[in-house]
Amino acid sequence: MRADYWTRFLIPPGVWLLALFAFPLMLVLALSLGYVDDLGRAVYGTDWSNYAEAFNPTYLPVLIRSVGYAAATVALCLLIGYPIAYYIARFGGRYRYALIAALVVPFFVNYLVRTYAWVALLSDEGLVNNFLVNLGLTDRGIQMINTPWAVIGGLTYGYLIFMILPVYASLERMSPSVIEAGKDLYGRPFRTFLHVTLPQTKQGILAGSVLVFLPAVGDFVSAQLLGGPDTYMVGNLIQDQFFAANNWPFGAALTVVMMLFLSIWMIGYLRSASRDARGAAI
Amino acid sequence: MSEAIRLEDVSKSFGEYEAVKDVSLTIEKGEFFSLLGPSGCGKTTTLRMLAGFEIPTEGRILLEGEPVEDVPPYERNVNMVFQSYALFEHLDVADNVAFGLKRKKVAKDEIRKRVEESLELVSLADRAKSHTNELSGGEKQRVALARALVNEPAVLLLDEPLGALDLKLRRQMQVELKQIQREVGITFVYVTHDQEEALAMSDRIAVMSDGEVVQCGVPEEVYEHPAEAFVAGFIGVSNLMEGIVQGKDKVKLASGQSVKAPLPEGCDKGEKVQLSVRPEKITLDDFERGMVTLEGTVAERVYQGVNTQVTISLGDGASVVALEQQTYRASADDRWEPGAKVKLGWHPDHCLVLR
Amino acid sequence: MDGLSLQWYQEFFNDSALRDSLFASLEIATVTMIVGTILGTMLAIGLVRSRAKWSPGANILMLVPLVVPEIVAGISALLIFSQVGLTLSIWTVVLAHITFSISYVTVVVRARLASMGTETEEAAMDLGATRWGSVRLVLLPGLWPAIVAAGLLTFALSFDDFVLSFFTTGEDVQPLPVRIWSAIRFGPSPTINAIGTLMMVVSISAIGLALLIPRLFGRRESGVKVLTAAEGG
Repeated sequence: MRADYWTRFLIPPGVWLLALFAFPLMLVLALSLGYVDDLGRAVYGTDWSNYAEAFNPTYLPVLIRSVGYAAATVALCLLIGYPIAYYIARFGGRYRYALIAALVVPFFVNYLVRTYAWVALLSDEGLVNNFLVNLGLTDRGIQMINTPWAVIGGLTYGYLIFMILPVYASLERMSPSVIEAGKDLYGRPFRTFLHVTLPQTKQGILAGSVLVFLPAVGDFVSAQLLGGPDTYMVGNLIQDQFFAANNWPFGAALTVVMMLFLSIWMIGYLRSASRDARGAAI
Repeated sequence: MSEAIRLEDVSKSFGEYEAVKDVSLTIEKGEFFSLLGPSGCGKTTTLRMLAGFEIPTEGRILLEGEPVEDVPPYERNVNMVFQSYALFEHLDVADNVAFGLKRKKVAKDEIRKRVEESLELVSLADRAKSHTNELSGGEKQRVALARALVNEPAVLLLDEPLGALDLKLRRQMQVELKQIQREVGITFVYVTHDQEEALAMSDRIAVMSDGEVVQCGVPEEVYEHPAEAFVAGFIGVSNLMEGIVQGKDKVKLASGQSVKAPLPEGCDKGEKVQLSVRPEKITLDDFERGMVTLEGTVAERVYQGVNTQVTISLGDGASVVALEQQTYRASADDRWEPGAKVKLGWHPDHCLVLR
Repeated sequence: MDGLSLQWYQEFFNDSALRDSLFASLEIATVTMIVGTILGTMLAIGLVRSRAKWSPGANILMLVPLVVPEIVAGISALLIFSQVGLTLSIWTVVLAHITFSISYVTVVVRARLASMGTETEEAAMDLGATRWGSVRLVLLPGLWPAIVAAGLLTFALSFDDFVLSFFTTGEDVQPLPVRIWSAIRFGPSPTINAIGTLMMVVSISAIGLALLIPRLFGRRESGVKVLTAAEGG
């Protein structure tokens, strides 16, 4: 059979992605070398000063902070998400799908609304502080909002499901007899978990970590609503360049720098994903 | 009889890999013809060229005298039964069977009638409205058969159709397939790697190896007179013994003993040959006049129910396998303990010299 | 917070701007679902079947949108629209949403396609269907549960999306999540909870259907698997 019959199916979506995804990414790259002219318009150029500025002491900490917050978010998601996925996969029985569904449902409340709910809980006159004051544990309440932990908490709450689902999927793929074999060989449950279960779910953990880390680094909602100027993340910075400061070239340069920070993760993930796809296609 | 299919010097390459090399075959109308060989021998590729899924790199394919090598599958008057059945899961049994007739725009009443008839033929008339995933493996196989036969093709192609069934069902389907073929009188081209199946069902068999047809003939001929060591080894179990031609109908075995064996035309003295004897032709400690006899030691004995398989070492690393029937007078288990000396023999007519 | 009273829903429906936002979001999600599902399905078929030399390149092109942070996607969409002089409106939002829905659809549909093999299509051609006939009569019906699930997933993602919409929406009507953003920043309002609940109902209905549909078609793989496949990229 002629192989090129199927190639025609690639062309419309391929052209679409090239025109509306690949080409625009190139535009971001090009504009990052541009500047703002006297009339305030963004102009393309070959000017590296945006990058010099991105790495200057005002902005560099923001970049590092973003990566730090995202890493903390990954750690928290793993700490909370892995046990949840583990217990559902091991002990959920026939309620497994119902339990997963019950977990997924809250995540379909819009992210903004969910984050906003945290504002109501954590703000200085919020529910938690009212409760603490009423109990007499503190006089004026505790500062919770505008702290790094509020932002990281918001991110964790926002992206937890992206950790639970891949970990759950990898746990479910694992056959129970493997665990039994592990118990047979290692005996104690914890050692079985350490030597058998954990290595077998490595793929799920990696996928979950990437799926949490990438959007968390670029997030600007959590820091905007739950944080303050001291907890600004690179997403807020970028968004400001486009909507407040009106310095698109600098925003583009910050975007490129952020992508550089993420590229190791992205490439690693792409490689494993395209390997899987090749395996699936054969 | 006139011919249904002729392949003339057909070759097929996939890049560097030559799947089929220079195959020429003629298949008569109404014949049950098998392509037999191990996996990777090119039998399925040959079948797929007949169906139109692969275009030969070289050579011609004639279907009832017309060249078809460039005709797409949907315009060829052949139909195929796939190994995986390839039923349409979104259609019920009747709609699966009607699929081909609908494409040919046959009138509705006619379709209904013919679908009923062909489901009758495969004894599935009561499952017409069933969903395909409610069917057992054997039933799916029948639907696939009915779906192909309903179109009354010039040739029906079957690609290991019984491969996924268990042994008992397989035997039963072999008998049924053969009956159906006689009933409809359509030419069947049957691909299989199971030599027993091919021997039981076929009018003629083409044995393939490495993309080539190594022997083509009726089952008895292929079994009794294998043309090459490969055929002898692939069809049934065969004992192959190295030897050197010594003179007229005389071969000297590696053990040094000379035995009588019918030499093929043009064998020279001193030529290296292989002697092939089927296990069931070898007798142990029980001879008739004119038999070749050898001595050996029992190396292993495997009780198989119907018979006992005895492996006899001839010394020098050579060994032969003999099959002993469990008859009223012979209970093999007390006779040949491993290590026992034994005399074995066969009729010279039952051995074959392969060059 | 006494936001559970029906009063806020009434307020929501009396607010014509909010109502417009709801309809805009539904419109965006519907068009995204239709176009994105068609393009994503084509891409899945092409990627699995095409032996073209650049097919692996197309595969990378498909996977990258899944790992690029949404803010990057939003900025690049904003740049291309301003570059070609397209006025921002709900239609630029639709274009951006379609671009990012293609990959999700492809991943879901491809998983099913890879498990199907080519024999049923060959059987269809063997029985007289042309090549396109075999696609229409056998391949697409076989893929249908995955296509429908992918479409509904796309609908939910588009309806719920904030970041892409935020960067690509115009002055005329704001999609619902963008409206929520403005509302939150202007100060707390119980209407936000009403909108949130309403959005959840829409999204969950879509996802619920996506989970249910493979079962209705009598497939063995569950919807959860389809969705975890989508999340797993």
